[in-house]
Amino acid sequence: MRRVDTTQLLKGVLDLAVLAALRDEDGYGYDILRRLRAAGLDEVGDASVYGTLRRLFNGGLLNTYVVPSDEGPHRKYYGLNAAGRAELQRSGKIWHGFASTMDDLLRERGAA
Amino acid sequence: MNTTAQDEIYEYVGAVRQALAGLTDEMRDELLEDLPEHLAEVLAEDSGTLVDRLGTPEAYADELRSSAGLVGGFPDPPPPRFPQLVETRDNLLRLLGQADVRVGPVIGYPKASDFLILLRPAWWVLRGYLAAMAIAFLLDTNRSGTGLLPRVGDNELVALFLLAGGVIVSIVLGGRSRNFARGPRYALRAGTAFLIIFALAGFEGADSSARNIQYSDANYGTYYDNNPYSHVNDVFVYDGTGKLVSGAHLYDQDGNPIEFGDSNCVDQAQYDAAMARGGGYPWCAENAPFGSASPSAPPSPTPSS
Repeated sequence: MRRVDTTQLLKGVLDLAVLAALRDEDGYGYDILRRLRAAGLDEVGDASVYGTLRRLFNGGLLNTYVVPSDEGPHRKYYGLNAAGRAELQRSGKIWHGFASTMDDLLRERGAA
Repeated sequence: MNTTAQDEIYEYVGAVRQALAGLTDEMRDELLEDLPEHLAEVLAEDSGTLVDRLGTPEAYADELRSSAGLVGGFPDPPPPRFPQLVETRDNLLRLLGQADVRVGPVIGYPKASDFLILLRPAWWVLRGYLAAMAIAFLLDTNRSGTGLLPRVGDNELVALFLLAGGVIVSIVLGGRSRNFARGPRYALRAGTAFLIIFALAGFEGADSSARNIQYSDANYGTYYDNNPYSHVNDVFVYDGTGKLVSGAHLYDQDGNPIEFGDSNCVDQAQYDAAMARGGGYPWCAENAPFGSASPSAPPSPTPSS
């Protein structure tokens, strides 16, 4: 059997995780990575977040704007647009359903 | 942001782009469009080089490819042609890897392969010797038995040159084979496999001929054995008057009994086996070449041999 590991699980839900990280506040790439790690997703890598942001943006779920900075480089901020919020809600529901199904299943069999 | 940082970013992005060579240009450009800006942000956050923070560009490209592959933007890698073979090979490799780690500490190394790697030059020398032997075997037409040296035409000097040449070539090949292209590398492996088979066959031959020499004692003489008594089955002793002595016992200078034949007497006329009587030679008095043991028998001429 394929062992369940966080990296594998993360692949399926990284889009959702990034959308969730942007729910309350816009952010730039590294900032979003930091939020995900602070939330407990230690395994997530910079390339994954960058790739996911690119994809979500190309998919029309994010808006973006550049914030000039005096001392550092300009930062490209990402934020949820209306489509992004709708997607977050829809995917969030699916995740809750899936997660509680798995929880029930494991509890029933005495595995958790 | 200074120039060094920009160079670093430029270099990193270039390496990532190269690692993504499997993708179409369009996909790659789309994926990498913002990467320089993003990496500039990353560099601005903490100290340390990009490689320290993000890993190698190749690893970064892999992660990028797999995270971007989720939406189906990228084709799956082609499936292996023989999945079962590949799986078997992977399983074997995994077992070998486990054995490697287990056996290593027993012989005092972290891994058994560490020890085997130390033996590699010794193998190169042996391989050179085997190659010289194989060449001599193929070239030598009037063969008077293959010895331990690669002789061609019974010439020791040629043998030593061939041996030295084989060993040197093998060592040079061993050192360089890592940089070989696919074709020469496979050719070298095929040659090595041939040499191993050749060596096993030669070893078997040498082993069995070495054992045969040991077996050739007085009673088991083979055709090349020069022991003149190997065919002696019985001994007839005649005293000075030409009378056959019975019950004779033979001893050498150390007092050890000299034994010929066995004490079963086979009656030639009736093909009947009977135990020897009385002990001592002759086992079969009836077979005496110059007369019987009975006192009334006429005296026989003294054997001349």
